[in-house]
Amino acid sequence: MSRSSEDVLLIVGAVRHKKVDGTLYMMRERLAWMQSNKNNFSVSHRYCDIKCQKISPDSKEKVQLQLVMHDGSAKTFQFNNTTGRPAQQHDRDSVKEVLQQLLPKSHQKISGELEEKNRLLKDDPELFQLYKDLVVSQVITAEEFWASKGKKSTNCAKNDKQPIGVSAAFLADIKPQTDGCNGIKYNLTADIIESIFRTYPIVKMKHAEHVPHEMSESSFWTQFFQSHYFHRDRTNMSNKDVFSDCAKKDEEEMKVERAKPMGDLSIDLVQIKDFSLGEGYGLVNEDQKGSSNHTHLTMIRRFNNHSTMVLKACEANKRAATVTTDSVPTSNISTHPGRNRVMNEMGQSSHLEPQTKKQKIQNKLGFEDLDNTESQESVNLKLSKLERYLHGPTPLMATRYNTSEDVLTATQNVSSEVSEWNLDLSQVLGSSVAVGVLGELSPGGSLMQGTSEQQLQQMVSQHLQEEMKQLYNALLELLRHFWNCFPTSSKFLEEKVMRMKSALERFQMVKLLAFKERLQQYHYAINLTGHMDEMLSAAYSKFDNWQIKKLSKKS
Amino acid sequence: MSGIENSLLVVVVDTNPIWWGQSRDEEQIKLTLTRCLDSVMVFANSHLMMNHSNKLAVIASHTNKSYFLYPQKEHSKAVSTAEDDSQIRQVDGKYELFAQVDEEIKSEVKNLILGGLEGELHADSLLAGSLAMSLCYIHRIEKEHRSIGSSLSSRIMVIKGSEDNPAQYMNFMNTVFTAQKQNVVIDACILDNDSGLLQQACDITGGVYLKIPQLHALLLYLIWVFLPEPSMRHKLTLPPKAQVDYRAACFCHRNLIDIGYVCSVCLSIFCSFSPICSTCQTTFRFLGPPKGSKKKSKKSSN
Ligand SMILES: [Zn+2]
Ligand SMILES: [Zn+2]
Repeated sequence: MSRSSEDVLLIVGAVRHKKVDGTLYMMRERLAWMQSNKNNFSVSHRYCDIKCQKISPDSKEKVQLQLVMHDGSAKTFQFNNTTGRPAQQHDRDSVKEVLQQLLPKSHQKISGELEEKNRLLKDDPELFQLYKDLVVSQVITAEEFWASKGKKSTNCAKNDKQPIGVSAAFLADIKPQTDGCNGIKYNLTADIIESIFRTYPIVKMKHAEHVPHEMSESSFWTQFFQSHYFHRDRTNMSNKDVFSDCAKKDEEEMKVERAKPMGDLSIDLVQIKDFSLGEGYGLVNEDQKGSSNHTHLTMIRRFNNHSTMVLKACEANKRAATVTTDSVPTSNISTHPGRNRVMNEMGQSSHLEPQTKKQKIQNKLGFEDLDNTESQESVNLKLSKLERYLHGPTPLMATRYNTSEDVLTATQNVSSEVSEWNLDLSQVLGSSVAVGVLGELSPGGSLMQGTSEQQLQQMVSQHLQEEMKQLYNALLELLRHFWNCFPTSSKFLEEKVMRMKSALERFQMVKLLAFKERLQQYHYAINLTGHMDEMLSAAYSKFDNWQIKKLSKKS
Repeated sequence: MSGIENSLLVVVVDTNPIWWGQSRDEEQIKLTLTRCLDSVMVFANSHLMMNHSNKLAVIASHTNKSYFLYPQKEHSKAVSTAEDDSQIRQVDGKYELFAQVDEEIKSEVKNLILGGLEGELHADSLLAGSLAMSLCYIHRIEKEHRSIGSSLSSRIMVIKGSEDNPAQYMNFMNTVFTAQKQNVVIDACILDNDSGLLQQACDITGGVYLKIPQLHALLLYLIWVFLPEPSMRHKLTLPPKAQVDYRAACFCHRNLIDIGYVCSVCLSIFCSFSPICSTCQTTFRFLGPPKGSKKKSKKSSN
């Protein structure tokens, strides 16, 4: 049974479907249901076909789970565990959870691929034309088309997914909706929950501690948003809450954070004042109201804490990604001596401090790009034929050989001519000669030959040029597929060669011949399709040779 | 002033005495150096007439040197102007600038040909040197113009009869690429055998290359084809551009090749592969195709 090879993630017995008892199987790629005492799945759905799942409310008598498909149909399963309602609910929830994990994954994959292909076709009109020529006209299948294209696209897209940082405003971005009766509804997505967990590890801990056993998912989050922990600018805290101790822990953490020395020695945060210079152009008195309001201060502290947590979440990402560089920055931080560091602790850290300080000052003073970069050591050319290197190939003098006598008479001729030279500029050009030359230079004249040949692109209509370009594109793509099969190292490639050969023949019959017939109406002097014919015949002869070789091997 | 672009034309005339003297023997060629120079003068005057702010320079590309025919060096000019101007004016009613150009060219040619016969004579002309000289001159004039805030478009017109000298290849191509970079168009009017070098030069800089069939009508070709500014040539129906042969010659046999091997160290070109570059002695080590894959495929077929 091939089914057995699939990974089965979950098996739940006593599941009724259409009032028949059976067992629900959850595999890696699909979900299936088998009627009891039967041997095959009567219901089977790939996860990518499932749009979403729905569960029956607790108030209902039956414990049910409904799957809504992309095509609008729905399948309902009833959990019918004989041991009672809690067990039924447990069964249902485990199925629900597995689905929850798998559905988004498969959706992402599918939509990602489709989108990628769609985008490729949209971005590249030539590719789109090719797709129309080859796939829509069924010369090759879509999978073959994408198999070769896909390599290119996935190659660049295959890079590791970049971890996404946490938005600083992610909590503010959850836009609560009023439900009309004095309540507020928060819509939490998986992303937001992920962000909360990453920013506040302690909430994650609480979630892990409480959620499955002591409270439901939704009540946990309700509590979270109701909690004083969340509304933390309120000063009074009750001890009953799940989150009450979180705030205390945060308080401690803030202290730790404050005790940490500054990363940059050249900045003195204590000196920074909290007002804007621009407001009175420096004329307004600068004494501050000193924001003494306690709630404001705590608020600001909370904000700072929140920002710290967000930054930390990002850092954690990086650290996980690059373990090797991890040690460097942390050691850098830890070796910064606090202001009240004890003398005897100044071991190696004191060595490092001036160094980092120096580095900081150096960075401020010097500009790397203004430095003299040391010239690289070069390797000398060992030229055995310097002449060649300097002048390139020097042909043997092909000029007319001149005897010294020739040279002498020639120069004498010229000098005697020049010495007798008198300007007579009005007689330079005779009119009959001029008319003769004008003939040469007019269209159709001997010097203007070739002007018509060059205008091939004007001779052939724009429309035909376009069509020919498309033909070339399609043919070259087919030929690429064809030649790609060689050497035919596998059975698959051998089959593909055969297929491509027939595809080429089909192309020649359907497209090229039709084009040639159309061309004949125009009576062009030049054979426009000659090159395509040559390429085709080259491919055919390669195929024939290959087939002969193959046959001879077999026999 | 605005809207009209000043144009500097540098005419490079081949004055190689060996070629000019020789060509006299052959019957079909009825052009002499002086007649050629007459044509050049009319052409130069026409250029100056197109716009009163147009500039001109004429350089003789001689067998052993490049020589400015016009304008003359500043100092010699300063001495002669006072007398010459009055003289010229008295000769006929000609525009003084034309008369000055013609006279200067004539006297300088006489200086060059009659006074410069000592030394070794070659059958080829120092074309690369003349082009470089033209570029320097253009650079200077353009700088002067820029300092007074007007723009100038420059081009070089080569009139050549003698053979190409392959020894000048590197220098020649360097000047051509400089011209291309400086937006200087090089035109060529060829009197005798086709010049591969100038074909490339014109193609690279976007100029016109024309080998003229009737030498005695040189002036008409000059005015018809070469007088219009490059910027307006596309509006005219001019002779089509010739296909230029850009094939390189291999260093080993001097054959022209389409595809060859180039040493990655010294850029020598070879028609066949050799593991050691014969110019710079670099050895090339090649990694063959990985052998593992071959074995694997064999195993799988077994
Ligand atoms: Zn060779
Ligand atoms: Zn080399």
